[in-house]
Order: sequence, then C-alpha cells, then structure tokens
Amino acid sequence: MSDAVTHELDPDAAVRVIEHLYDQGWSDGLPLVPATEARVEEFLAHTDRDPDEVLAQSIALGRQATVRDITVHAIMAGCRPEYLPVVLTAWEGLSAERAARGGGFQSTAGPAPLVIVNGPARQELGVNATGGVMGPGFRPNATIPRAIGLTVRNSFGLLPNELEQTTQGVPGRWQQCIAEDEEHSPWEPISVDGGLEAGESAVTTTLVRAYEFVDNRSFRGPEDVLRDFQDTIQRTGPWIFRNTSAMLLLNPEHARLFAEAGMSKQDVRTWLYEHCGKTEAELERAAKGLSHLVSEPYPPGTFHRTFADATPTSIPIVVAGSGNAAMSMVIRVFGNWSGKSFRLH
Amino acid sequence: MVQAIIDPTSGAAPGATAVIAAAPLTSLEGLRVGLLENTKRNAADVLHVIGDALQRTDGVASLVPYTKHNFALPLPDDLLEELEASCDAVVIGIGDCGSCSASAVADGIMLESRGIPTAVICTTAFDVTAGAMAKLKGRADFPYLRTEHPIANLDAEQVVERGELLAEVVRARLLGTDEAVGA
Repeated sequence: MSDAVTHELDPDAAVRVIEHLYDQGWSDGLPLVPATEARVEEFLAHTDRDPDEVLAQSIALGRQATVRDITVHAIMAGCRPEYLPVVLTAWEGLSAERAARGGGFQSTAGPAPLVIVNGPARQELGVNATGGVMGPGFRPNATIPRAIGLTVRNSFGLLPNELEQTTQGVPGRWQQCIAEDEEHSPWEPISVDGGLEAGESAVTTTLVRAYEFVDNRSFRGPEDVLRDFQDTIQRTGPWIFRNTSAMLLLNPEHARLFAEAGMSKQDVRTWLYEHCGKTEAELERAAKGLSHLVSEPYPPGTFHRTFADATPTSIPIVVAGSGNAAMSMVIRVFGNWSGKSFRLH
Repeated sequence: MVQAIIDPTSGAAPGATAVIAAAPLTSLEGLRVGLLENTKRNAADVLHVIGDALQRTDGVASLVPYTKHNFALPLPDDLLEELEASCDAVVIGIGDCGSCSASAVADGIMLESRGIPTAVICTTAFDVTAGAMAKLKGRADFPYLRTEHPIANLDAEQVVERGELLAEVVRARLLGTDEAVGA
C-alpha cells in the first residue's frame, strides 16, 4: 500500500467503529466490519435470491433470518461481496440438516457448521483446498463460516450461556470452511454424492463436533490405513446413540492409495461400515452398552456396528489438504449429513 | 454524509406477547395425568415414579404415557392435540440438555395456553436457558420445577428416590400451592 493511501485512512475512526460494534453486543469476540445499506446492496448484486426469502430458521425459538439479514452478517464477518452466494447456499444446506433446524445451535455439544465448496467457485473466490485447508490464512475460508455464526448470534438471538448452552464446544466453531481438492482427488467430489453434477459450483454443509487426525505415513497397503481409521472411528467417546456417523477428510495421498488399489469411495465406506464397531461388553465397560434400547439385554459378545449404514449420509468423504504427508482427519458429525449438496447461487 | 450502521438484531423477534397460564387444579382426584417423557436417559422412569406416587396419594385416576421423540423441537400439533384431549394435567421432563430444557418449558407454556396445567421438570444446570425460553414465550415467571443435575446416571434406587421427592413438588405445582421449589 502506498504512503498516500495509508495516510488517507483514518485509523482512529476505524477503532471507534470497532469499539462501537463491540459495545452493541453483536460480536463473536473478534472485531466486526460495519454493515450499511449501500454495502448490503453491493453484496446483494451477487445473488439472484429474493432479499426477503427466509433461508435460516430456528424452529425451537420461532426465529428466522432472511437473505438480507444473512447479508448483513456476511458483511460484518469480513466477507467480500462475491462470497455472499456461498454464505447463502450454506444456510440453505444447514436448513436441510435435521440437527441444525432443530436445537443444534442450542446444544451442549456446541457443534460447528462445516462448509464444503466444490466446482469453479473454489478458484473464483480463492477458497483454499490444499495445504493448511483448515486454516488459518485464507479470507473466504475464515469469513464465510463466521457469517453463519453471527447469524446464529444476532438473528436467532442465541447468546452463549443463555439460550445457547455449549458445554465446551468446538475449537474454531465459526471457522470451518474448506474447498475440496478435486484436481488431486481420484474420485467424484462430495457434491456428486449430494446429488449434483461434477463441475457445478456447489456447497455442502453439516454440523461437526471434533477433528481427530490419522497420521499414517508408514502404510504398506490400503488396509493398513483403513485399520488405522477403524481404530479412531470406533472408539467409545463419541458413541452416544445407537449409531454414530463420521466424515473422512482424506488428504490426496491416502485417497490415491485407496484408488490405486481399485477402491471406490463406496468401497472405502463399505469396508469401514463392516469393520467398525464394539461388542456390547466393550461398550458396557464405558457404561455405554446398548441394552437399554431393547427389552432383552444383548449378550456381551454382540457386535454393534458404529455406523447405521454404508451411505454417504453416515460416512461422507472429502479430499483436501496438501499432498506433502499422508495424514487425514476423522470428523465427528453431529447427527448425520443430510446427504444433499446445493447449487451455488 | 456518514451512513447508518445496520443493527443486525433488528430481525430477531423481541419476544412473544403475554400468554395465559392454566388455572391450578383444586384436587388431582379422579384426573388423567399425562407423563410426557422426552427420551432422555431416566426421564420416563422418573416420570413413572412421580405418576405412581400421585396415584397412591392423590387418587389420580389414570396415567397417560407419551413420548416426545424429537426432544429439541416444539411438540408437534398432533401430539399437542392428543395431550389436550386425553389429559387433565401433564408432567413434562426431563429437561437436562441445552435444547430439550428450553423446549420442555416451551411445551409446558403451550399446553397451559390451552388450559392444561403442567409441571415441567428441568435440571438445575439449565436454569438460565429454561428461564430464557420462558421469557421468549411470554411467561418470564413460568414456574417450571428444578431438580438437581444430572439425572441420566442415577441408578434404579436413586431414580425412585428422586421421583418420590419430585412428586411432592409436582403436586404443589399442579395445585398452585408451590413456590416452584426444587427437589
């Protein structure tokens, strides 16, 4: 930036605005950008949606947010105007999620919305899909999910420790947006699992609770890595209902290992569905046996599968991250994914 | 000219208008008491202990068990209508999580606005959110019942003990003689 521009900007005025926005109680803890009517119009020029369309609803609270309300929050979060369709489509996706429509944002689990971008919009907007995909350092990845969090706070009126009852929450709760690295994935993108065509700009969302890494650079074959995933996936900690679900965020190297062994994404899902689980006795050691769900207690040796089925809804798979090391993530999904992706607009 | 900064909370409803409370009952004798459990661990068992106690001590005619499967959401209309048609009073619980405590209070307020007296039970850990929902629904002073957190890991004996304690305050709540004291 030139000295001339630097000297035209008024840092004192900016600080006064930032402090004013904090004083109103609208912030998630970080500085906000002020929203004005002129800026709203500038953002709305990037979408064909009706500004009065209701895109976000809290059924439990009887509250909602329109396209215009969400736009205000996209501005405040630090988005650029052209990011707006991603924020809006992410809300469309969240509204299709049972957990998000219900009490998910009030939950003790404090789940985070994860936004996944596919198609040409990734390059057009600069959404990171490769090294350091979980951030920080990339404006769309950081600001798009923040706009969702601000909508929850201000449009739904969900303030921490009031109607929002998060026990500990998820680190970076409003910071989780990635693009899929379609160029280095051997498979169709998740948006195809979500019902769209490959190559379409799309947004997929779900609510998540935690990320656990599977660092396996010493594998000799695909089953070594699958067994490593199995060990992480089937642990008792996240197992609170009959079944649980988990997303795999595969780095390109692990994905390629599976594909070169002839495995499709569905083959990976099926392997994990068949192998992940615990016996009733193993679950009961953590007081998590499932006998309370049935009239006759399960024999101790009964094998309970972690997943309800081998569908993308229970085991969504996304490829992203650098190809510089064979490490991937198991992402704990809150409830399960709706199984739907949404065309960006 | 300086542009006005938009207030992002302006779309959030300021809260419902005041809604009516159900008139307290004079006696539980011969009445049908609904037990609306929300699938939370031990909820159904605690409600049954309460119901059994009220049958024993107050001559409640029948207990009508119901399950609310989606504990985070408001009662669906069909269940609301069934409760209204089949119960003279409803015990609701246990609100022991972020969404289900608020939702239990909302259900109680909704039933009361239809003239059905309720006793809504939440655990003390969720007092703030239960109270916030009561305010949001237009009954800031809604006298829901507080019981010590947690409920989910009580054993069978403790469930009975807790239910017996709660039966006293549930009775007081339904008869309007309570100060919404906890058990």
